[in-house]
Amino acid sequence: MTAEKTIVCRCEEVTLGTIQDTVQTYCCSSREVKLRTRAGMGYCGGRTCRHVIDRVVAEITKEPIKDEVQLSYRSPIRPATFAVLGGGKHDNES
Amino acid sequence: MNFDIIVIGAGIIGCSTAYYLSKAGYKVGLVEKGDIASGTSSRCDAVALISDKKPGIDTDIGYKSIQMYKELAKELSFDFQFSSRGSLYVCETEQELEIAIGYAAQQRSDGYRMQIVDQKELLEIEPKLAKDLMGGIWTEVDSTMNPYLVCYAFIEEAKKYGLKLFTNHEVREIDRGVHGRIEKVITDKGIIRTERIVNCAGVWASQIGDMVGIDIPIRPRKGMILVTEKTDRIVNQKVHEFGYMLSKFEDINYKRNVSKLVENHNIAFTIEPTDADNYLVGGHRAFNGYDIRSENQVIRGIAERAMRFLPVLKDVSCIRTYAGIRPWVIDHLPIVSEVEEVPGFYIASGHEGDGISMAPITGKMITQLISGEKTDFDISRLRFSRYKEAIIS
Repeated sequence: MTAEKTIVCRCEEVTLGTIQDTVQTYCCSSREVKLRTRAGMGYCGGRTCRHVIDRVVAEITKEPIKDEVQLSYRSPIRPATFAVLGGGKHDNES
Repeated sequence: MNFDIIVIGAGIIGCSTAYYLSKAGYKVGLVEKGDIASGTSSRCDAVALISDKKPGIDTDIGYKSIQMYKELAKELSFDFQFSSRGSLYVCETEQELEIAIGYAAQQRSDGYRMQIVDQKELLEIEPKLAKDLMGGIWTEVDSTMNPYLVCYAFIEEAKKYGLKLFTNHEVREIDRGVHGRIEKVITDKGIIRTERIVNCAGVWASQIGDMVGIDIPIRPRKGMILVTEKTDRIVNQKVHEFGYMLSKFEDINYKRNVSKLVENHNIAFTIEPTDADNYLVGGHRAFNGYDIRSENQVIRGIAERAMRFLPVLKDVSCIRTYAGIRPWVIDHLPIVSEVEEVPGFYIASGHEGDGISMAPITGKMITQLISGEKTDFDISRLRFSRYKEAIIS
């Protein structure tokens, strides 16, 4: 398997090669890799691939992975339809 | 290290300012406490509009900025996903439509193309909208782009002119010499010598102001956005309710018939397509300090309001939400100005939700101010001293 054929972010179909190239070109953080390549920005919100992205970035930039989370999760915990999020009666409505 | 100018803050305003200054031949350093676009410019929506601006200077510089983006999209080597898709205001009631017609007439008399559309035309332009809307305003010139890619594009280009980037450098102190002139910027990593500073720190601009003893009245105003899954075309362009204007400006006297949740959180519907086929759905405005956590009640209110205008959204998933903070000032006009009492200190901040819109023209006019050239527009209303005068009078 080559880096060009290995998919790291399944939702946005970003390959290992693309991520490596981006880190090497811009010497950047996991967050910047995400913004530049969309890795971690798809349906699962990076829950599948963010640790791999962190590892790839750490290997290339030689900066140790910090304890604090580099790529954060965002609410909602899993995708939910607008009907679920905004539907129904609200307690504060008369 | 010695620079002609230090720009503080690598959000969209700082990136644009650094680009125009570098291009003009200055030796520029861009100092940023985090990464490029790690604050407001990556937690916003993605449009440059004139239809959300008040008639006059607000619209004039917004329009000019869009024209500059069109040129930049051709000039810059880095693609920032610019396109002029237009935007559509939708009105829920006769009364809203009446206010909208008055607004569009005023903009048209200033030479801007805004077209009033009726209920039937509205649905021809955007078939998925609710069938009971009264009409709206269509603005052809309104445009969209990817805001953090714009930042990268400016930086990429500015580096060709010699820009030096200092990311992860937090400004701690500003040292001044004789007659109070700027001498040094002291960061957590070291000392940088310069005679001029442009404060592009946005919501953090007042903290930089404190370091030279001036009070910059910018406050963070929060806004939340819901990101949809990738999906078939819901809308073809930015669509927002006319009530959005009411949530932005406090002086428009009109009350919408909305739920308490929507009213209490100052929620107004807006949606825009992105190049990635996700849609950004918003929005709201609240003063909540520097807190950018997602709030469940706001998510609920935005989803509720969005379904009122686009019922099709009910089966669409929201995959993520985020919030950002806008650099708000009381008169809703950015500060693009020198500071007389601190020679060598300039401010380009306070754009509230118009930072993306106004970045190119802001960077250009700051460069004109520093070079002693005439600015493209009369920016007396954007001067920092307006706040001092307001207190005196």
